[in-house]
Amino acid sequence: MIVCVAVVGHQNNPLYIQSFTEADDALKLHHIVHCSLDVVDERVNNPKKSGPMLNETFLGLLYPTDNYKVYGYLTNTKVKFILVTTDLDVRDADVRNFFRKFHTAYVDAVSNPFHVPGKKITSRIFAERVSTIVKSFGLNSAG
Amino acid sequence: MANFLAQFQTIKNTSDRLVIAVEDVSDLWPTIKTAFEERLPFKRACLNNKTRNPVFVETLPAEFILTTDSRLRSRFPQEQLLFWFREPYATIVLVTCEDLDEFKTILKPRLKLIVQNDDREWFIVFVSKAHPNNDQASKMAKKVYAKLEVDFSSKKRERCCKFDMLCPEPNFWEDLESKITECVRNTLDRRVQFYEDEIRKLSEQRLMPVWNFCNFFILKESLAFMFEMANLHEDALREYDELELCYLETVNMTGKQRDFGGVDQGDDQAALVNPGNKALTQIVQDDSFREFEFRQYLFACQSKLLFKLNRPVEVASRGYLFIISFSKSLALHESILPFCTREVWVITACLALIDATTSHYNEGLAAPEIEKEFYRLLGDLYSLARVKFMRLAYLVGYGSDIERSPVNSASLSLLPWLIEKEKLILQTTPRAKHFGIQRKPLPLEPTVLLREANRRRASLSAGNMFEMLDGRPGTIDGSGLDASPRMSPSQKVRASSMSRTNSSPGNFDSSVDRPMRLAEIYIASEHALKQTISNTELLKSLSSLEEFEQKYLELTKGAADNYHRSWWKRHGVVLDGEIAAVSFKHAHFDQAAKSYEKVCALYAAEGWQDLLAEVLPNLAECQKILNDQAGYLLSCVRLLSLDGRLFSTKEREAFQSEVVRLAHSEMKDPVPLDVSSLITFSGNPGPPLELCDGDPGTLCVTIWSGFPDDITLDSISLTLMATYNADEGIKALKSSSAIVLHPGRNTITLDLPPQKPGSYVLGVLTGQIGQLRFRSHSFSKVGPADSDDFMSYEKPAKPILKIFKPRALVDLDAAFSSALLINEHQWLGILVRPINYSLKAAILHIDTGPGLEIEDSHVIEMESYAQNEDDQAQADGAKKGSLNSEKKFECLSLKDRKIEFPDWASDIPSILWVPIRAIGDEISRSSSSAATRRQSIVDGMRTVALKLEFGVSHNQIFERTLAVHFTDPFYVMTRVTDKCHDGTLLLQVTLHSEVKATLTIYDAWLDLQDGFVHTDGGIPTSSFFPLVISPSSKAGILFSICLDKANVEEANRGLPESILNIKYGISGDRTIGAHQPALNQSIGAHSASQDLIFRSAITLQRPVLDPCLAVGFLPLPSNGLRVGQLITMKWRVERLKDLDEIEVSKHNDEVMYEVNANSESWMIAGRKRGHVSLSTKQGSRIVISILCMPLVAGYVRPPQLGLPDIDETNISCKPAGPHLVCVLPPALSSSFCIPVSS
Amino acid sequence: MAREVSEICMDSVLAEMVASYCNRFYANKPDLAARRIEAIGYQVGHQLSERYTMERPRFSDHLEAIKFICKDFWSEIFKKQIDNLKTNHRGTFVLQDNKFRWLARMSVDPSADNGSNEDSSATVAESKAAQAMSMHLYFPCGIIRGALSNLGIPCAVSADMSNLPACSFVVRIKA
Repeated sequence: MIVCVAVVGHQNNPLYIQSFTEADDALKLHHIVHCSLDVVDERVNNPKKSGPMLNETFLGLLYPTDNYKVYGYLTNTKVKFILVTTDLDVRDADVRNFFRKFHTAYVDAVSNPFHVPGKKITSRIFAERVSTIVKSFGLNSAG
Repeated sequence: MANFLAQFQTIKNTSDRLVIAVEDVSDLWPTIKTAFEERLPFKRACLNNKTRNPVFVETLPAEFILTTDSRLRSRFPQEQLLFWFREPYATIVLVTCEDLDEFKTILKPRLKLIVQNDDREWFIVFVSKAHPNNDQASKMAKKVYAKLEVDFSSKKRERCCKFDMLCPEPNFWEDLESKITECVRNTLDRRVQFYEDEIRKLSEQRLMPVWNFCNFFILKESLAFMFEMANLHEDALREYDELELCYLETVNMTGKQRDFGGVDQGDDQAALVNPGNKALTQIVQDDSFREFEFRQYLFACQSKLLFKLNRPVEVASRGYLFIISFSKSLALHESILPFCTREVWVITACLALIDATTSHYNEGLAAPEIEKEFYRLLGDLYSLARVKFMRLAYLVGYGSDIERSPVNSASLSLLPWLIEKEKLILQTTPRAKHFGIQRKPLPLEPTVLLREANRRRASLSAGNMFEMLDGRPGTIDGSGLDASPRMSPSQKVRASSMSRTNSSPGNFDSSVDRPMRLAEIYIASEHALKQTISNTELLKSLSSLEEFEQKYLELTKGAADNYHRSWWKRHGVVLDGEIAAVSFKHAHFDQAAKSYEKVCALYAAEGWQDLLAEVLPNLAECQKILNDQAGYLLSCVRLLSLDGRLFSTKEREAFQSEVVRLAHSEMKDPVPLDVSSLITFSGNPGPPLELCDGDPGTLCVTIWSGFPDDITLDSISLTLMATYNADEGIKALKSSSAIVLHPGRNTITLDLPPQKPGSYVLGVLTGQIGQLRFRSHSFSKVGPADSDDFMSYEKPAKPILKIFKPRALVDLDAAFSSALLINEHQWLGILVRPINYSLKAAILHIDTGPGLEIEDSHVIEMESYAQNEDDQAQADGAKKGSLNSEKKFECLSLKDRKIEFPDWASDIPSILWVPIRAIGDEISRSSSSAATRRQSIVDGMRTVALKLEFGVSHNQIFERTLAVHFTDPFYVMTRVTDKCHDGTLLLQVTLHSEVKATLTIYDAWLDLQDGFVHTDGGIPTSSFFPLVISPSSKAGILFSICLDKANVEEANRGLPESILNIKYGISGDRTIGAHQPALNQSIGAHSASQDLIFRSAITLQRPVLDPCLAVGFLPLPSNGLRVGQLITMKWRVERLKDLDEIEVSKHNDEVMYEVNANSESWMIAGRKRGHVSLSTKQGSRIVISILCMPLVAGYVRPPQLGLPDIDETNISCKPAGPHLVCVLPPALSSSFCIPVSS
Repeated sequence: MAREVSEICMDSVLAEMVASYCNRFYANKPDLAARRIEAIGYQVGHQLSERYTMERPRFSDHLEAIKFICKDFWSEIFKKQIDNLKTNHRGTFVLQDNKFRWLARMSVDPSADNGSNEDSSATVAESKAAQAMSMHLYFPCGIIRGALSNLGIPCAVSADMSNLPACSFVVRIKA
């Protein structure tokens, strides 16, 4: 299950971070998301690593912590989406699919003329959309 | 075949280079040995790699061995196949011969015999001992060699070379080496071919049950080893990789594996970099390869080759993956392995890898991204070692008080029963309670911990573990808290008051004796570890808490440093935080502070406030302890400016109180503190404050305080920057008094001194709290939520203050148009007209010029002045005013020449009536005849200096000098209209009204000078009066007088001149001009009743009766007069008649004369007065001439000649002297002197 | 689902915005007005680029990004691509649109007609018209700048309409 999703701005500043666990280990998830940015940096700055999927927005599995899997997605505008899940076997397709939906939601959110770019995303609708996307994660493909 | 293994390894270890056999046919070797061996090892030998492509091997180590050497004794064929790599790669046949026959008969057959078995690569070196000078011998040698070549070399292969011992040909050695390498190449190819065939055969049947990995291994490794000997490391490496792959695929499949291994003494230490750690015989036992040893062995071989290929980075990356996967399989076999072998092994493996790779890695050679990656790998290795090390530490009871970053908590915190310990620790010693911040215990994953626990339980010989773990489910969180005797009530309170407590840690049963068991565990596991760990150093670092922490720091620092040199700054920073925690614990506060600063810097830069909120308090604490006041203050401010939800109000208040406390303590070097993040300010929304030039004002500014509580600022000052002119300096507004900022929005007002015209924007806010000077640059983004916020970076700051260019704000003017009465009390009307600017509390200074005085005693009247638009019929304002309903009227009094305006007059125009009196000392003279009236306007002119102070602080000044014209009511002209025979003269007096008011004459009489008398009683019949004269019209009065002969003798008794007295009244309007005197206006209900006296002097000349002297002025030179030019003025005096006997007594033949002239305009050269003789005869004449010089240019009165002795009535002037003469300005060249006139 | 707006609405909104900034909010402060209009364009471009770059790999260099602006971005907004792209390979690009839609429906204000017989007033009117026209170009300039800077390319964009109805935008990338 997805425990946390985050949007990180092009200056690596958190724009939106939401955890979906009962246990409020929000702080820990903050840490995990923040550290995962290291890997994003590495992928972007070290082309040799990201061989075939060069410049693809989907960065794939960033790194597994002891009991999390962290996936990354880097938009053209250097905005990062981070997904933290506890599922041990996740299908790439599901994650890609998730990020696609998530990206759409994000774009709609920042297209709001009252949203100030670079500032945190406070839109309630966005939050709702995200939670539905998170709930539907992996379902469609599971069936 | 396994029984060859021992042999195989020994062979491997002994033979480390290619062997070249030397067939010494004619005992030459000892003599040439040295020369040959000097060539070793061969350089840039060209060999073929596995794919048959030529590669140049830089150095090819080789060894010459005589075929007679025991080492080359032939072995069993099978062996040879197996260990073919050690067989000679080339055979050199050394021969010499001086004689053809001998060659044919003996040598040749023997050679044939040697080279017949063709599976060896051979060639012949013919050594000639012939001396070069001995050409007979050398010729012979040549012959033999030629023969030799014919017999043994073929076209396709050149098998001979000639070596002259005494003078070798220059290219001999190259020839030799190329021949050797050729042989080696061929041999190598053939053997590779052989091995590959064998291997293929084996791997075809690899999936059959009979298949034996051992054979495969020996062949594969032999091949690999052969490549290695030939320095073809790439190929060798490939062989090993394939070998490993095959092993994992075939042997190491689940079910197939037998003995795992790793139970020997010292197995806990990884052997990743020394292949020879264990004998193959140990690795392979009864045909089964122990995974534990074998995989390490393979990796060791691979890493050895990689190092030879100078690819340490690859070693690191392969190594890391290997450790990960290998520790997994260790986990699988944990049950059979000694206690915690896995952890120990991983630790040693990581450290070994780190040492090996770093020692082989030389910086800067690799591409930057590779380098960064390498450092990241090192970091990973370090942190992996660290994690495992921590686990060991936990088991023996260390490290639970090590502060772990949440992100590491999962990996670092371990067993469920440790959680209990942690909980107790957390509660008995809550971490980092600076500012009384409540920190939650770290989240722990029950799932992981359960797994761990079960594994441990298996390996750990502590029986009571079972129920301990079985006790877990069904116990409720917090029950432990109540049960635990260690809990003091206060701690309980804190525990319950935890602002951000965490769900995880509680849910384990915690009965009172749990800590006891914990102790048991420590002892047990310590004992077990002692059994496991063979590495003394590691053992030592677990021997005591100090040792442990030292090791922990070493590992953590290693990880952090390497991460910092890689892309993984954030990982590094996390570790920095943990290092800092330890150094804090050991009171190395400066180190702690340094590390914490690193952490905070990154988190702050990237705006991760939640993370910052965890670390910043610690940094602050360090700075506090280090007494780094500036830093500490800054940290507090940063804490305060963090997102409000991150701290409870109590905590934030604590921060604030710290700031205040510090501000009021004396600081050594008070540094200005930037609170831009905390205190922001903005002008009020809406239009800017607008002020007239020179006006002070009060500026309203909104200040947003981020402080959780009221805070008192001793002073505030705010700079204003003028827009559009940068050169205009920056003005600072200071707050007069202390200001209390409430949380959130505050509105403060600052007094604004007068500014230069222009528009201003807010600059910087500075202020003072105790010793502390703080600064804020940021305009508050709070307030109206407009998208400007987003565009602010290019939006010009909104001006908050506009100062207008100077303009007229008020006008003062006389409220009347015509002259006033002189010498009478008159109302001076001053019209005050504000030009849309308030005259509130304005003060008017009135200063009268000479000849004018204000009646201080009398009240001053002020009335509103009706505007012009509502009355064109304003011509006579009097009645207009009366019926003007809202007309204001007020009586004011003058205090030392100042008048304060009433409020009602502040905005509307008004008139101020001031009672004044102009003093004209000289009595007015009537002018005779129609000559131009001499009395000039100037005589009646008086000035009033007005100074109006107004504006909020009387800062505005308006000055104006009014010229007021005063005059007599009448201007009198007289002339004698008729002269009757009887000597009666009719004197006509014409009265011109000088004022714009109606004058009424009640009476008029004439006091005559002596020599004249009224013919009648002198009083005009009063039937004329009252005589009304309307404005600017005339009236006339006739007096009949006559000379009185009677009293000529009694001289000078009466007036020198006669006075005309007129009793009159005036009725006028003060808004126009002259009017009845102010003083007793109260009495004068009907104004005209007022009686005034006007007197005017009249000079009556007695007619000249008997002229006896005539004075004549002689014409001046025609070329006119010039300043500074001497001229003579001449008068002629003529006696008209003989002197009669009246003046006989006097010496009468001379006349006294006197010249009087204005000394300003004339300089008289001769005598001014004197006597001239003039005979008494009639007609005698004389000319009096005076030398004089004009001093001023223009029309001036010329000097007059007078005859003082003689009565005027006896002098007739003909012709009369000119009234004025014209004087031209001086000629440029001439210089002259002027008497200085004061 | 692509929701579309009638083009004329877009035109009138644009015209109205320019008008109100030039004549109402910042009357007789044209530079300020320009700044604001450009800034609005910037925000729009910023957000549009976010949307139109979805589902496409990241750009590896500036040229790619500029090409994206010329092709997809432009056709998303104007249903046509940029007609001509020039560059000096030192950070300056010229994007030319031979028929810039937002100027297509724009007419010179009638004040230009009277007294056009003496060319002085005619030229005056010309320049006035030109100025009014240029006001309408700050918005598209802002859009381009916003889009590029959101793609991580800080730049300055200016417009040149010397030969209408063609209109070319000059992009100078800040080193």
